[in-house]
Amino acid sequence: MSAPTTGPTAQALSTWLVERIAGYLQRETAEIDPTVPLAEYGLDSVAALSLCGDIEEDFEIMVEPTVAWDYPTVQALTGHLLEEFAAGPGAA
Amino acid sequence: MPIGTAATEAQQASGDGRHENPLTGQEARVSSRVATLEERFADPHDESNELSYARLLQADEAGELPREGERLLDDLVLNADFVPRELGGRLERVDTLVRVMRQLFRRDVALGLGYGVTSFMAAVNVWTSGSEEQRRHLASLLLDGGKVSVAYHELAHGNDFVRNEFEARPSVGGGYLLNGAKQVINNADRADAWVLFSRTDPAPGSRSHSVLMTERAGLDPARHRVLPRYDAVGVRGCHLSGLEFDDCPVPASDLVGEVGHGVEVALRAFQLTRSAMPGMALGAVDTGLRTVVRFAARRQLYRRTVLEIPHARATLTGAFLDLLICDSLSLTASRAVHLLPGETSVYAAAVKYLVPRMLGDTMNALSVVLGARYYVREGEFGIFQKHIRDLPVLSLGHAGSAACQATIIPQLSRLARRSWFQSEPAEPRLFRPREELGPVPYDKLTLAARTDALSATLVAAVDQLPGGTPQERAAHNLALGLTGELRRLQESSRSLTPQNRTALASPETFELADRYAVLLAAASVIGVWQQARHDEDPFLADAAWAAAALHRLARRLGQQPPDLPDGCESRVHEEVLRRFEEQRSYDLYDTPLAG
Repeated sequence: MSAPTTGPTAQALSTWLVERIAGYLQRETAEIDPTVPLAEYGLDSVAALSLCGDIEEDFEIMVEPTVAWDYPTVQALTGHLLEEFAAGPGAA
Repeated sequence: MPIGTAATEAQQASGDGRHENPLTGQEARVSSRVATLEERFADPHDESNELSYARLLQADEAGELPREGERLLDDLVLNADFVPRELGGRLERVDTLVRVMRQLFRRDVALGLGYGVTSFMAAVNVWTSGSEEQRRHLASLLLDGGKVSVAYHELAHGNDFVRNEFEARPSVGGGYLLNGAKQVINNADRADAWVLFSRTDPAPGSRSHSVLMTERAGLDPARHRVLPRYDAVGVRGCHLSGLEFDDCPVPASDLVGEVGHGVEVALRAFQLTRSAMPGMALGAVDTGLRTVVRFAARRQLYRRTVLEIPHARATLTGAFLDLLICDSLSLTASRAVHLLPGETSVYAAAVKYLVPRMLGDTMNALSVVLGARYYVREGEFGIFQKHIRDLPVLSLGHAGSAACQATIIPQLSRLARRSWFQSEPAEPRLFRPREELGPVPYDKLTLAARTDALSATLVAAVDQLPGGTPQERAAHNLALGLTGELRRLQESSRSLTPQNRTALASPETFELADRYAVLLAAASVIGVWQQARHDEDPFLADAAWAAAALHRLARRLGQQPPDLPDGCESRVHEEVLRRFEEQRSYDLYDTPLAG
């Protein structure tokens, strides 16, 4: 399985996350504030698990299924994922 | 001695064989335990016996648990079966616990739940996530005959459960203050301790709850009370009531696992309880079938016994096949807890979703053969209506069928893309009911599966199954058709829209979870049959039951497979009669029964 040699930028990652989350919530991307907890938008635990699958699929990185619980905003998730990319592919 | 060592040796010794020495080890322990219970429960048709159906019905009418039954279980220290062996109990495997508890559920669902399963459901939280100290303490509480209750709301999905929650507020002096009420809790009134799922943080989200195990002794009596008992349609002997707390202080040491990790603790515990409970309840449907065979063998209509009427015969045969299908899936999921902990979240949800539904359908079909007697609350066939009233509690309790589907839904697209038609098939011992297993690797239970070795068993079977006899060819063709169904499921799961990957998914998406559960059941049937082919049980080794079971599952999925060849259904029907006459169980174990 080929792993990207360089990870995405913070900006690209944040945009990607906002688009995904807006899709789950059936909202416009502009409505998603990166600093507001996703649960406040009503993102349920089923969608949060789906999001983990998307992250693994699009970035070829392993994440804990609880990642969206521990990093509950777009901003926190972006920061965490950037660290994971820096740690290398396949990190959990 | 550590169980791990024993298990490893046994696995090495088993090499090519399955039970090198059936008279030692886990198999010997569980089969002798099952035999002891059956011997003590004695003949269910002897009205002088305290655990006869007649006496159990009387207790139900009185809204009580059978007193003698509880005394007997105290005497047998049934609680030891819920305590891991390394803590002094008898619990070695999830599938063997299912076998032991099935003995109770054959007699009385209320006794099975009210005496036992509730304590097990509560204790599992501590076994999976508690500290060493908590594990030891709970083990001794249970081994001394104490009971534990469990109180958590529906957790598996959605954000509804974050509202209106029971609270454990961190108190200034350390510890927590409990506030609020929990309803419909089994044994709330008589448990020595309660496992309480509690909000510890007002923030929304999935890190705001914690699990506490609180003991009744030492609580301020002015700050907590047991709420009045509920009157229920089924399991009328169970003590279902509620608890209410008013700023009731409890020590910090009540916390099980980490603060804020309650959802995770509960979801991990669910993987064991969801895998195990439906297979226990299967015992009640075993009795349901046995009761109807008893009726059909004697009753004369149109100058023949009901047993000779083709529709009745087909219903009885179908019921036995349902039991075998459900037991295969239950076996696989409960052994997967040991062998495939990373995949258990999906299998456990599939069992808890599919098995109660199928068994409910089975009982309804059987009730048609019983006719008007199905409505009678007493006498020889009265146990049937009691079981049919009691069984639904199993799909209501602790995870409704929609909640289980919602556990599967977010995993579908990942499995479709990454696993189906790619994963390696499950190892053979997943499907061998009597083979030893090591302890549950609690720390490896995860909340989402990345692979699915069970469906891979279905896919691999297409190249592996024999095609010598007409029955074998039928099983093979059915496996082929079911593999095609998995392919279609894969396509549908890949193209799920984002909204269909949330708790608000469409009914069609919930339907995908249903189809997937049926395919996992088919894979389990194939696995059990494949591994039994060289076994000493000639019935399980025969292709007849496997072909007939797969045929039933294919039709459940809306397929129209060709009729089964001669010899499939008749072979299964003969087995229904043999087991009735010889008093053997209607499941994978062919266990001798007292009646």
